[in-house]
Amino acid sequence: MAVAQGTLEDAVLGECVRVGDVSGNDRVAIRLLEMGLTPGATVRVLGRAPFGDPLELEVRGYRLSIRRAEAARVVLEAN
Amino acid sequence: MHQAAMAAGTDALTAALLGNPNTGKSTLFTALAGIPTRVGNYPGVTVEEKLGRYTHRGRSIDLIDLPGTYSLVAQGPDEQVAVDVLHGRQQGVPRPDVVVVVADATNLERNLFLATQATELGLPLVVALTLTDVAARRGITINTAELGNRLGCEVIPVAAPSRRGLTELGDAICAAAVPRPLPLGPDGVDTERAPAARDAIRRYALVERILAGTVGRRPQSGPLPEERLDQLLTHRIWGTLAFAAVMLLLFSAIFWLAAPLMDLISAGVDAVAERLAARLPAGAIRDLLIDGVLAGIGGVVVFVPQIALLFVFIAALEGCGYLARAAYLMDRLLVGVGLSGKSFIPLLSSFACAIPGIMAARTIENRRDRLLTILVAPLMSCSARLPVYLLLCGAFVPNLAVGLSWLRLPAVVLAGMYALGVIVAAAVAFLLSKTVFRGPPQPFVMELPGWRWPQPAVVLERAREAVWSFLTNAGTLILAMSVVIWALSNYPRREAAIAGDIEARRAAMAAALADPATPSSDREELATELAALETPAGAESARRGAIQRQSFLGQAGRLIEPVVRPLGWDWRIGCAAIASFPAREVVLGTLAVLYDLPEDDAEGTGLERRLKAARWDDTSRPVFTLPVALSIMVFFALCAQCASTLVVIGRETGSWVWPVVTFVYMTTLAWLGAFMIYQLGTWAGW
Repeated sequence: MAVAQGTLEDAVLGECVRVGDVSGNDRVAIRLLEMGLTPGATVRVLGRAPFGDPLELEVRGYRLSIRRAEAARVVLEAN
Repeated sequence: MHQAAMAAGTDALTAALLGNPNTGKSTLFTALAGIPTRVGNYPGVTVEEKLGRYTHRGRSIDLIDLPGTYSLVAQGPDEQVAVDVLHGRQQGVPRPDVVVVVADATNLERNLFLATQATELGLPLVVALTLTDVAARRGITINTAELGNRLGCEVIPVAAPSRRGLTELGDAICAAAVPRPLPLGPDGVDTERAPAARDAIRRYALVERILAGTVGRRPQSGPLPEERLDQLLTHRIWGTLAFAAVMLLLFSAIFWLAAPLMDLISAGVDAVAERLAARLPAGAIRDLLIDGVLAGIGGVVVFVPQIALLFVFIAALEGCGYLARAAYLMDRLLVGVGLSGKSFIPLLSSFACAIPGIMAARTIENRRDRLLTILVAPLMSCSARLPVYLLLCGAFVPNLAVGLSWLRLPAVVLAGMYALGVIVAAAVAFLLSKTVFRGPPQPFVMELPGWRWPQPAVVLERAREAVWSFLTNAGTLILAMSVVIWALSNYPRREAAIAGDIEARRAAMAAALADPATPSSDREELATELAALETPAGAESARRGAIQRQSFLGQAGRLIEPVVRPLGWDWRIGCAAIASFPAREVVLGTLAVLYDLPEDDAEGTGLERRLKAARWDDTSRPVFTLPVALSIMVFFALCAQCASTLVVIGRETGSWVWPVVTFVYMTTLAWLGAFMIYQLGTWAGW
């Protein structure tokens, strides 16, 4: 497991990271949690779209695309 | 409470299909019920409502296909529909007796998140497990019996395309019972969090407990073929190239492939018109049937090939999982102007025709993005504008080389018209997203579904449904409007005024011919025209022109002349602009009639010649100059000169506010644009 800090927005491409928390209490935060980005979940950034945004993630066995603004809400677990 | 389900009776049973998007829910619905008995929108929202019926072992089962949803904690009006139906709060839809959760076997963690929420509804429950074959190929093993035990309901693996498991599913639906509540586990002390957030975290913990031991995953030796495909198609360079190729294919299909079919429809309508004309006695009834009703029907049916082709494409792209990738690739480009990646295909399609484009906006789940896309889609230059551009560019834009010898000014102006639509659309979308549609950030959380073959039955059903909804909902209204505009441009027929109009024209031409100041080239033209008036065909087109000039439309044209004068237009152009309201392509025919040309000649060089010869009433000043031609083109590029589009906007948004908004903003922009280009051109002396 990579030593990662900060948010999913600056996660290294291809590396597995763990979700620490999702900040905020609004629709965006709830939707991210509902899609499986809950504390402890393993996430891998698979790629970025041609213009650098959004990101393609692998989480809980499926592919998810979120924008960088949303990825910035996902705080990673510090190992 | 759920006697219908509990009792082993034979009365009809209502079952709701609940599931995440992309789980094969539509495929299952089609396999079970075939063509839906009812398709529409839920009142007040633009979410599709689909009902169907089938018989299982002599028992009638009514199916409700709920909109795909990730969670039953509704966060928007669209998701609210699924929740409302499940609680029997949706008007006109019965509360289901049984809930069938459609779960994708390749993606059980997230799918069971919804399934565990469904166990809390207090309704009998069945889980239909789809895509088990794909799951097996990926090395996922599922102990369905144990999974059912833990969930407290039957779990039935199904393969809708091969109809495997459908009988078992029917048995399970008839025998379904209310599951016991599942313990969510301890709530954290984190009271800062919203209840929905705490629920989601605890629910995933529950799902993990359910899956532990029931679902196994064989380690993979290297990436799967579909993973390689995904890497390629979402790659920065290869993915973008593939995207361009797919879009080119889609666009040429609706632009070029539809053209022969559309010609066939037009030819068919013409043939019917000819037969009718031969059989009916001449008179108002015949004119109404042929020029009003039949032309109106033709004007509706002609859109069918484009709509059908586009929806076949979209359904196929959606079915194989590419639609979400296309949105992923294009998102950044469109987010800058307040749209989203999903707006790309609707907007691209609008270059062929705004009607299928606006209908394609159904694939945008986010209401705000969808509405914004619909509002700017008519600004894309559709194929109906092209003949107007081509005629005016060819006739009035000087054929000069621009820098390079092969690059000609008319081509540059033509391209400029297309660019104008795109730039204005971007500006409008940006402004609207910063003002009227400003709001809290909308989550863009989009699943990129697994690659799979699209189901032909689902693809065809999608196209059939789109065509049907267009014909029944929009088509009838478009037809009515065509008839009204026809009547306005043909009545009243005051014979005295019509004869006076023809006589005045003849007198004016004769006077010009006699005037020694008239140049000899014009003299020749005038002589041929005067001679033509004596032929039956010439007299007929002169009469048609006179009828239209004396009609309500002609009167309206004169009435609005002060409004269009700053654009450099005479009242005839104003008339043509009004007459082309049902459909842009009418403008050339109307101009032809107003300038006394046989309508058949509208496409040819006759109209071009006639337009060049047109003079302002009682002067020798030509009407059509380069600034006027540019002003007309800019007006047509930006105006909402298409009743069909407005009707479809009304139907797709479920409100008459949005077509009115579209018409007002586009007409205002069109007038301002035409005004600026005309004034600029006149000032610069083009």
